[in-house]
Amino acid sequence: MTTVRAGYADATLGGIALGMVLLASFLVAGRGIGASGAFAALAGPVASAAAPGAIGAAPALGVRLPTRFEPWNDWIVLQLLGVVVGAIVSARRAGRWRAATNDRAPGRISRAVAGGALMGLGARLAWGCTSGLALSGGALLSTGAWLFIPLAFGTAIIVTALARDGRLEGSP
Amino acid sequence: MSLDSLHPAVTAIPIGIAFGVILERTGLGDPRVIAGQLTGRDFTVVRVMFGAIVTAMLGVVWASTAGVVDAAAIALPPTDVPAQALGAVIFGGGFALAALCPGTACVAAASGRRDGLAAVGGLFAGTALTPVAWPVVRGVVADAPREGATLARDLGVPLGVVVVLLTIAAVLAMVAGRLMERRSLAHSAWRPTTPESVALALAAAFALADSRGLVTGTQADAIAQEIVAEADHVDALDLAQWIRDGTPGLRVLDLREHLDTSTYLIPGAQPIALEDLDSLRVAHGDRLVLYSDGGAHAAQAWVLLRVRGIRDALVLKDGMAAWEDEVLSPMHPAVPDDTARARFAKARELALWFGGFPRLVPVDAPPGGTRPRRRRTC
Repeated sequence: MTTVRAGYADATLGGIALGMVLLASFLVAGRGIGASGAFAALAGPVASAAAPGAIGAAPALGVRLPTRFEPWNDWIVLQLLGVVVGAIVSARRAGRWRAATNDRAPGRISRAVAGGALMGLGARLAWGCTSGLALSGGALLSTGAWLFIPLAFGTAIIVTALARDGRLEGSP
Repeated sequence: MSLDSLHPAVTAIPIGIAFGVILERTGLGDPRVIAGQLTGRDFTVVRVMFGAIVTAMLGVVWASTAGVVDAAAIALPPTDVPAQALGAVIFGGGFALAALCPGTACVAAASGRRDGLAAVGGLFAGTALTPVAWPVVRGVVADAPREGATLARDLGVPLGVVVVLLTIAAVLAMVAGRLMERRSLAHSAWRPTTPESVALALAAAFALADSRGLVTGTQADAIAQEIVAEADHVDALDLAQWIRDGTPGLRVLDLREHLDTSTYLIPGAQPIALEDLDSLRVAHGDRLVLYSDGGAHAAQAWVLLRVRGIRDALVLKDGMAAWEDEVLSPMHPAVPDDTARARFAKARELALWFGGFPRLVPVDAPPGGTRPRRRRTC
């Protein structure tokens, strides 16, 4: 039984560091960290421009998908911009920039697109994703977050077992 | 200088950078690591996620006990069980296919991975196409999700118990993860590592403090001190000034009973019943001002909010009666010294601004009694 981790930092220490960052966000910004909310802030106005009125017609949709485009004032969009900057710097310094060799196969790309699209819809329905709902809401003991964690991971484990992706196995 | 007055980028960008660096360093931007977790070969996801949840949870409960933060003022995701259950299943399917989640897809793309970029494109498309899929899924979605739903409240269990059980479960998951990863190595790996032990100790200490009333005891004492010091009150004239100046975050709550549409409310006030107060959502930086007729309901609401950990709440001194007497129809002082004159000048200006009628000359004092009327006080 081999593990795939090679050259990556210790997961427990990484988890504690991430917890400290999340705590800092709670204390100084009054909110947790996230990701799918930024996609909503950017894609919502596009959807609204493409089909005016469709979002406003369903109130439960309107509260999930913003129609105003104001990314420079949106905390979560700016935070995700920070994530991208941090990841680029970190990957370059660790020699991992464009180092992957298993990311180009057509099957891999189409699975990533389909998976991303499903996650986009699922996160809107669920009020967040693995970052904003599971991680941040989980730390605040939100009922919805603790419902999401077992259901999302349980489904993912079952789907992975049914549709195993051979390109993602083995050590780096 | 409050952080709330700064541009959101000041906190958002550094926090985002740290988040991105940690995800990249721990390998979560690598779909092999996530696929490894979903097939049981690698436990990085469980260890990072539960390590972070326990650290941040213990940080919040202790910071809140120490009075550093109002836990109730931190934005909590809402709860809508059917919508979140369906969302979680759809999300889980996508998570398995992409072997990336929204945050880690961005990290993968930022590491130059093409599948990461493809997942980011898919996320954007899936989010933008949500209105198309909405007619299919809308049946399970509540019109308004439940705000403020937490495990402790929904299960009716003390917070300390939830904190301890969750910490134990998370530490067990992390230890199990370590064992599964290096099955043939390390003889004593079942023992909690130092950080895991620290987390267990902090959780146990919090539960002990919580159950023995140390936490709530200090709180009750602190609340009593504030009441004695009248730090919980605001003058009607000061409130009028705040409303006129458009003070950011100001929220005025009307707790009077039997309000109907013809009742006069203080401009901008939001009517709320005492029994609905529990579900009131308070944002970071909100300053609540409560009023009722005399002040008894407002004062009771203040205590309820204060116990919830909301600190920036004030009671309008002498309630609606004070608003009518001091703001809407202030009376010219009977003995006009300088302070009284200055106060009346301010009141007169505010009365005109709020559409009231300042009583300029106190000539028509009715026989047998003078205003201001007698008020009930809290």
